[in-house]
Amino acid sequence: MKYRRILRYHGLRRPRVRQTWNKYNLYNLMFLKDPRNTARTFFQQKWTAKALTRGYHGEHIKERQWDRMFSRRLLSVVDMKPQYMATNDGSEQAAGRGSGLITGKPKPVNKATPYMQMTFAPMERRLDIAVFRALFASSARQARQMVVHGAVKVNGKKMVHPGYLLNPGDLFQVNPERVMTATGRPRILNEKLPFEKKIKNLAKKNEQNAEAEAEGKNESPEEAAVIGETKSVGSIGEAALKLQKQKELRALMLRAKEVVKAHRDMSGKKKVVVRALVKDIKDTINKAAKRDTSLQQTGDALHDLSVLVSKLELSEEELAKKAASDAEAAKTGSRFVQPLVRLTDAEREIIEKELLLERENPVDPSKPYATPWQPRPYMPAFAFIPRYLEVNQKICAAVYLRHPVARPGLAEVPTPFSETVNQLAFNWYLRRG
Amino acid sequence: MNRKQRDFYRWLKNVGSKVRDPPASGNRPSYLGSVKSSSDSAALKPFPANDKFVSQPVLSEEARERIWKSVMVTGLPLKAVSAQYGVDMRRVAAVIRLKAIENEWEASHKPMALPYAKAVLSMVPVADLRQSDQPFEAINDIPVHKYTQQQLFVPTSESRHFTRADAAKAFGEHILPPDEKMRIPELIQFERDIAEGVKPQEAQDNFVTAAARSEDELAAKESARVERDEARKLRIESGRFEFRFEKINVDSSGKDGRSRRGVGWRYGVPFNDRRRAVVKIPTKVE
Repeated sequence: MKYRRILRYHGLRRPRVRQTWNKYNLYNLMFLKDPRNTARTFFQQKWTAKALTRGYHGEHIKERQWDRMFSRRLLSVVDMKPQYMATNDGSEQAAGRGSGLITGKPKPVNKATPYMQMTFAPMERRLDIAVFRALFASSARQARQMVVHGAVKVNGKKMVHPGYLLNPGDLFQVNPERVMTATGRPRILNEKLPFEKKIKNLAKKNEQNAEAEAEGKNESPEEAAVIGETKSVGSIGEAALKLQKQKELRALMLRAKEVVKAHRDMSGKKKVVVRALVKDIKDTINKAAKRDTSLQQTGDALHDLSVLVSKLELSEEELAKKAASDAEAAKTGSRFVQPLVRLTDAEREIIEKELLLERENPVDPSKPYATPWQPRPYMPAFAFIPRYLEVNQKICAAVYLRHPVARPGLAEVPTPFSETVNQLAFNWYLRRG
Repeated sequence: MNRKQRDFYRWLKNVGSKVRDPPASGNRPSYLGSVKSSSDSAALKPFPANDKFVSQPVLSEEARERIWKSVMVTGLPLKAVSAQYGVDMRRVAAVIRLKAIENEWEASHKPMALPYAKAVLSMVPVADLRQSDQPFEAINDIPVHKYTQQQLFVPTSESRHFTRADAAKAFGEHILPPDEKMRIPELIQFERDIAEGVKPQEAQDNFVTAAARSEDELAAKESARVERDEARKLRIESGRFEFRFEKINVDSSGKDGRSRRGVGWRYGVPFNDRRRAVVKIPTKVE
């Protein structure tokens, strides 16, 4: 196999800015300066500028190929205001002595159009570079690989040529899984994330609490007797089953209450609590499924929760009975009062919202990226979308609206180099003198 | 570790950490420009050495929804929506195309990249297209023609009323004046109405009517073209294949027989579609 990539791709000694989101690249980009051109021949200046700019713009493309793509015609536009067009026919610019009337007011100075920044505009038409510019890949080389591996569609058809030149109006789509892998934090095998440890600790604590409650204060002598009886018989009796259901539901509701409490918390605590709830729901429904075959885990926490609540919650009649027995126990000074935890509608709504958010970005060890998905480090510094693309991030699709253009004061080609460097490179490709 | 590596890690720890992760809450882009200088103009410059490139806002989810609704639900013409929000017509069309795919995915429960979308939209500057907002982009950009980039000296009489149309003609017979190159020429009439004292609501209604009419005309023209093309073809369905017959003119291959409009293989003319070292990447996908 031909090894296309040069060694020392991101160097500190001989820095080259590349089309990647790498941290070394970030550093090199920060300290990028124009080369010192004093006491150098014009040829030397152009040579250095060409080397620098080509190290960034399509460094994976052969020089011959780019040479064919290069165009000396640089596209630019002027914004014509309809208001001006409606009230003037242009003759006012030739009034007076031929350059407009002198009104005493200073004339607005038009900003220069930075044409030289458009030197590498034809490169932005390439499919692989457009995929990188739409933020679907973390480097141009990765984007190229996505195309070659068949993860990119153009106008609904698979396109395997990274050198395909997009036409205005072309719609390209990338497989969302590939995009999430490319732009997400990489998964480290067997790594325990901090929140996983926290969830484990929380679960342990919860279990201990539940056990303590069950064994210590909450078990009435009759219930204990029932449990003892069933244990000796070997099959769970009706009363014990009900008690167990109640206990499970109570633990679950307590956990749900925690979610409501942490609802406004902006720190990581909310995530930990929500994930713990999801885990609890999973465990509870698994336990319940063993008893009741009509129940089944769907993997959807939101659905599971509603099923659990409807199946495990006591009926109104039983609730009334329980309230009466509680009151009696309170009267007699018995310490076996167990308040039933119930969720209000508002609380349920909050929990549903949180679970929905959690469902969007779940923990899933089968994914090739770290879950829950997070953007890779230093992505914010590179995250911009040029105006010639219209991107829909949800479906990982984008439309190439038009070719990049220059307008007064702005050029749309994303290039890290100054006008001086780009001009020298442009002159190199003009192949004159 | 050498000095350069030490400097690198020190920078990454002190300064680089500012752009490492997306902002904890809200939408706040953090580019290298903001690290280098605290001025407002530098905040949106991802390349510190290139001050001619700015990270411009993108449409937020809310804005896309708004555009989609005004076209697909309210039924406004594209030109009117474009003028209302200050969004290029091509972008309006693209938003609707993409939204259609999104809706299709949603209906078929196809998994979408939701956390990714959320993260990206928290990192880039976004525009919501509210009523009071600035126009999103220039909607009447006119491409600069190569012929108009030269300086020209045209001798005319002093008394002559020399307009844009005359200037265009001076650059070349086929050069169009800007009035004819406008993407939404109806806006000029709208501004003229406003300048002449027509009530804003009335002028707006006139503009929407004119925009709808021009779009209908374009649609009618396109459907007529499709019909004309179809009339020239004879389709025969044979179960497995559909045969399409079309009348061909032998002379369309030109005098030397090599014109690209010629059809089929011609004697003596090489057919290069399987030769090696010839670029076979498609030039368009339909």
